[in-house]
Amino acid sequence: MSFSRRELLERCAAFGAITLSTSIPLSSLAYTWDAAEKKLPTPTCELGPFYKRQAPNTSTLRAPGDAGMPLALSGTIYDVRGAIVPDATLEIWQTDNLGHYDIDGYRYRTILEPGGKAGYAIETVMPGHYPQRVCQHVHYLVTAPGHKPLITQMYFATDPVFDGNPDKNYTRDPLLTSRELVRPVMIKGEAMQVTAVVNFDLVMETL
Amino acid sequence: MIRALPLAAVLLISSATAAVAAQTVKVQLPCDSGYQMLSPTGAQVLVMCEDESVYLVSLPDGSDRLLFPAERRTNSFSFSQDGKWLAAGFHDGTVELLPAQGAAAARRWKADSNRIDQLYFFADAKKLFVSAMNHPGTIWELTETPTLRATLQDKFGGVASVAVSPDGKLLVAGGGDTVVRWYDTTTWKMSHEYDGFLLDTFALIFTPDGKYLLAGGADARVTVFDAASGKQLRQLPPQAGASVGDIDFLSDHSEAVTEYFDNAGEKPPYRLVWNLTTGNSTPVQINFNPTCGSVIQGTLWVCNTDGRTLTITQQQ
Repeated sequence: MSFSRRELLERCAAFGAITLSTSIPLSSLAYTWDAAEKKLPTPTCELGPFYKRQAPNTSTLRAPGDAGMPLALSGTIYDVRGAIVPDATLEIWQTDNLGHYDIDGYRYRTILEPGGKAGYAIETVMPGHYPQRVCQHVHYLVTAPGHKPLITQMYFATDPVFDGNPDKNYTRDPLLTSRELVRPVMIKGEAMQVTAVVNFDLVMETL
Repeated sequence: MIRALPLAAVLLISSATAAVAAQTVKVQLPCDSGYQMLSPTGAQVLVMCEDESVYLVSLPDGSDRLLFPAERRTNSFSFSQDGKWLAAGFHDGTVELLPAQGAAAARRWKADSNRIDQLYFFADAKKLFVSAMNHPGTIWELTETPTLRATLQDKFGGVASVAVSPDGKLLVAGGGDTVVRWYDTTTWKMSHEYDGFLLDTFALIFTPDGKYLLAGGADARVTVFDAASGKQLRQLPPQAGASVGDIDFLSDHSEAVTEYFDNAGEKPPYRLVWNLTTGNSTPVQINFNPTCGSVIQGTLWVCNTDGRTLTITQQQ
């Protein structure tokens, strides 16, 4: 059984589960609640030429001794109603720190099934720049029953291409479709052992 | 009406007038350009300028006309096989069909909400394959008002390559999901699919007799299929670190010229001519970084620019 926001509020009020200390009508409260929960779908980007099927299921993409700043990348998969998508499959791929995709093998490629909490977390390295692309980026493909496949790319606010101002300069990469895809980067750890930490939530559209 | 001249005929004229050496055409471009596309007849070359405006330049006289100013934001192009029509795809999902020669009215329509990435004319130029970023391929009847005839479903990722058999009965599409699918062009139902590739297919072409289909892509090799059944027959040796970007047949239909691009983007593209009978290849010797190239009437022509001078050279 499922209730609309308004029905749920009405039932809670009727059974004393909530007490309203406001004169705002229930319908307005329900509308406000809905608006707060809804999410805009994640902007899409192109799949790119180097997607590879059948990647391994691993959350550790970085191997000991790999070049590049370690990157901890995590997030949660939602639908546009704000509900988590527990049965999603998530594919992530990127270049190594020198800007090379692994075509022959599966370095820096993974398929994850986030499960009930729809959360994911991987350990990788900051991807490199390469001649055909302006910005560092990480590719995402998210599929789930009842939802449109989501194909997108995540970018880093620290990318030198943005000159510290991604709001102004994100269009320097013609394939970067939305400022929303440029994520803040938090640096954690001590000198010589720092890790870049990025959160990137994904929002899928329902079919 | 101006009749399209085959590039070979153009060259004879050019040679006779001593304007250019035999087997080479030189024209002045209206702008600095790093991308050009030769028409299938060799009568014209489409030029994308560095500011993203687009011109059509006639060969060999070099007369040009502006097709699209920069703000129109074109993304993809295709000539009809007779060279009479040009289709352009735009970032806003619109497609424009305009005469490459003559004065027929242009047609423009909204084909998708996403950027148009692929355009492909059927041989009779009465139908156009259109695919947009991450969206399924569509077939459009090129009537007065272009009409959507079919949508070719895939799992995700749109279409990376497409080819139609010489008899027009089969369409094969290489999906972004790496699956190659065969469609019956009468019913537009999928007849079979090949999921043996793990990477994208960027080039598809039927042999001129329609018996075989050649596919090439990020796996760095050409795969030969039986065109009707979709059964994989053989694979040519791979090229390390490169992807197959294009395949075409030379006048001897047992020879295919393949273009490879460096996956790391650090080396210029190069071409090999494959003898499909022996499986041996020979490199096309080019001592410059080509900015365009295609097979015209069975012969490979390659372009390079020096400033605003475009040189188109026949390769032996």
